[in-house]
Amino acid sequence: MQGALRKGLVGWRVPVVGVSVLAVVGWVLFLGASLVFPKLAPVFWVQFAIDLFVLTLFGLSLNLLMGYGGMVSFGHAAYYALGAYASALLVKKAGLPMPLAFVLGPFFAAGGAMVFGFFAVRLTAIYFAMLTLAFSQIVFAVVFKWTKFTGGDDGIQGVWPIKALAAPPVSDNYYYFSLGVVLVCALLLYLIVNSPFGYTLRAIRENPRRAEMAGVNVRLHQWVAFVIAGFFAGVAGSLFVFFQGSVNPDYAGVARSTDPLIVALLGGMHNYLGPAVGALLYKIIFFYVGRQFPFLWQLIVGIILLGVILLFPGGIMGAITERRWRRLPFGRRKGVPTVAPGEVETPTGSSVGGGNGGR
Amino acid sequence: MDWLAENTPRIVVQLLSGLSVGVLLFLVSSGLSLIFGVSRVVNFAHGALYMVGAYLAYTIMRLAPGSGPYFWLALLGAPLGVALLGLLVEVLFLRRIYQAEHIYQLLLTIAIAFIIGDTVRTIWGAENRSVTRPDFLTATIPILGQAFPSYNLVILGLGPVVLGALWWVFYRTRWGMLVRAATWDRDMLGALGVNTPLVYSTVFVFGAWLAGLGGALVAPIQGLSPGMDASVIILAFVAVVIGGLGSFFGTLVSAVVIGEVQALAVLNPFLRQYDLVLPFALMALVLIVKPVGLFGRPE
Amino acid sequence: MAGDKVIFACKGLSKAFGGLRAVDGVDLEVREGELRALIGPNGAGKSTFFNLVTGQLRRDRGEVYFNGHRIDGLAPYQVMRKGIARTFQITSTFRRLTALENVQVALFVHHQRHLNPLALFVPGHKSMAEQALHLLEQVGLADSAHKPAGVLSYGDQKRLELAIALASEPRLLLLDEPTAGMAPTERREAMALIARIARERGLTLLFTEHDMDVVFGYAERITVMHQGKVLVEGLPEEVRASPEVQRVYLGEHG
Repeated sequence: MQGALRKGLVGWRVPVVGVSVLAVVGWVLFLGASLVFPKLAPVFWVQFAIDLFVLTLFGLSLNLLMGYGGMVSFGHAAYYALGAYASALLVKKAGLPMPLAFVLGPFFAAGGAMVFGFFAVRLTAIYFAMLTLAFSQIVFAVVFKWTKFTGGDDGIQGVWPIKALAAPPVSDNYYYFSLGVVLVCALLLYLIVNSPFGYTLRAIRENPRRAEMAGVNVRLHQWVAFVIAGFFAGVAGSLFVFFQGSVNPDYAGVARSTDPLIVALLGGMHNYLGPAVGALLYKIIFFYVGRQFPFLWQLIVGIILLGVILLFPGGIMGAITERRWRRLPFGRRKGVPTVAPGEVETPTGSSVGGGNGGR
Repeated sequence: MDWLAENTPRIVVQLLSGLSVGVLLFLVSSGLSLIFGVSRVVNFAHGALYMVGAYLAYTIMRLAPGSGPYFWLALLGAPLGVALLGLLVEVLFLRRIYQAEHIYQLLLTIAIAFIIGDTVRTIWGAENRSVTRPDFLTATIPILGQAFPSYNLVILGLGPVVLGALWWVFYRTRWGMLVRAATWDRDMLGALGVNTPLVYSTVFVFGAWLAGLGGALVAPIQGLSPGMDASVIILAFVAVVIGGLGSFFGTLVSAVVIGEVQALAVLNPFLRQYDLVLPFALMALVLIVKPVGLFGRPE
Repeated sequence: MAGDKVIFACKGLSKAFGGLRAVDGVDLEVREGELRALIGPNGAGKSTFFNLVTGQLRRDRGEVYFNGHRIDGLAPYQVMRKGIARTFQITSTFRRLTALENVQVALFVHHQRHLNPLALFVPGHKSMAEQALHLLEQVGLADSAHKPAGVLSYGDQKRLELAIALASEPRLLLLDEPTAGMAPTERREAMALIARIARERGLTLLFTEHDMDVVFGYAERITVMHQGKVLVEGLPEEVRASPEVQRVYLGEHG
């Protein structure tokens, strides 16, 4: 839909209507379904959905860096944990009311991202990945060892939301709250990746040297992206802490950092909704397969990852959009027959990344 | 100064012990560095290969606990088994993604690490295990009045031997020269008419063999735990990144430095608490000051 | 066509790589609106010179002035914002963005929208699309506006690079071998286009080129570099007649 709009603007007209009507219907159905969902579904599935919303936002925030900025962070959980711990500590130690703590938490995450990101964006590719990993390990170690302040291994317990949002075991209200927060954040992130800022970020991903030669202060731009991604990871963390009622060092663990990576890859990192789709699939696989074989969960994830990377490097959304545009007649436009819009942002099928080089 | 005089024996023993940790770390991280240098793939599965080496060695040594010959057999057999596994991984998966973007390479090797890790845990179980050292290496040797395990001394002795062997391989054999050429300039190999895929495969297999050797050597001292793959890979990465990706010498220096830093940290109550983060803090510091590591070359 | 005002100048610009003096005390003055060619055999230091001017390489010594401001020591993006733009010898575009988006990004940057907090939630694809399309029309690429840059033909990528460069409304355009890799007829067309746009916009042009037909067909003045130094500078006919130039080029090109 986004591609179609873009084309429509500068004079190229296609039967976009079909596509956008489909999208509108899809969104209406989705919103309607998610509004009635907690009334119909058992508590377990309501919890499942909240979990999913949080992971979706976490994945979307990472994908701003990875899919749009070409920066692979191995330590995104650092900002998730900073948001979570900040909110929890603001409630428990500073005695702030929950709504205020919830709003302030992500700013601490953004602050952390500002400090760590300042150094990280100076590095390229693998060094960037390793430094982000190192920073997340430092956060992990601090919350793990600073027992007096952070509760150490046990973490902080009893971090519950205000009464309106809480009733055991989980209230419908917290579900609606999470849904609303994640939708708003997802919309903001969508606007950001499609803003001039977002396009410039993609240009940097494609060719940092050229971007610099067009007058872009590349590091500054990447730094800003890093802070924005950290902020929204912090929102995800804050949201999760009031859902769980507790926070512990695992929030900053390596596994927490690989979750959004897997989710983005699975769904497709060159599509905005990719991480959302990936999160849904990831949670479903976990529910139906992972829970039965908890000791084989990594094996299952590994096999899925292998399959996606070798067969569908564009993820699920990549596979869908490419197919769709190829099959439908208006996928091939007059005068521009060779390239389907789906390929604009997706490395073409067979060659895993297409040899464009990346960073 | 008094403290120093009083603690000299402890410090010396810690230094030695740190050195032996450094040697083991070097075995693992040198393979990682080698593979990266040639194929530009950062192999996250390296820790899993190391773990397989340790478990294979454990299985062989358990056939006759304490036996010298079985110990040597394990040191020979386990790395070979890991090399074979490495060959499989390279031919089946890695080969397909040498041209892909970094991100796909990273995630693919993570996937392989996950798969190998869980497979090992399925085969050998999730409990911690230990295996006795061979009888002739159980003794401790007094150094300045402190007991130092003879096994660690053997590892210390092995360090220079391995280093010498690696030097010989890379500077005296045709294969080694090809590998060095590839590390320097990948396109050169093709231009020279060399069978490039073969070089890539053999490098990966050799790297896996080194990881297997590290794992086999470590089994009798540190025991085996199902999380050993993750902890070693992270440390090995830190070593490689500090030294500079692709720099053999850099990896050696940083592996030893990390071993020593961790060993000496034990002597200080505050640092001891944070011994796990020290390597990361060190890495962060190095990267901030020198973005490509101590001896790395900018791309 | 050139005015009297010196818009670009450098004094004693030098850069050595190890023992090799790639650029060795170059003095150069270019007048506003001038079409200046920078030629010389391979390894004469032309590309290094460009990289020094744009700040991609750090100079060892020397000063660079543009439009009255000293620009040496600035980061590349700062140099670009002073009103200089460049293209590369090997085409360099944002491959997975469309041609239109390539130019849009350059426009965003020039108009300071890319980091403007107020524009953070503005739809980028609508933003400055008209201007971008207009620039693509000028270089003859409007038909390919929605193709990813990576699938464009080599010549079209060069045109796209030109459009990206023009987006920043530069006063000085540095072109590193604008016709390299093109067929002879294509070269003439490309250079004619560049010269026409430069004249229309009153642009100053400094370009390197190996094709002597292109150089002598379009350059108003020519600077010849050899072994990092300026060998000769003058009008095309003066350069053509220079025995020193002939000596240097006979050795190289026969």
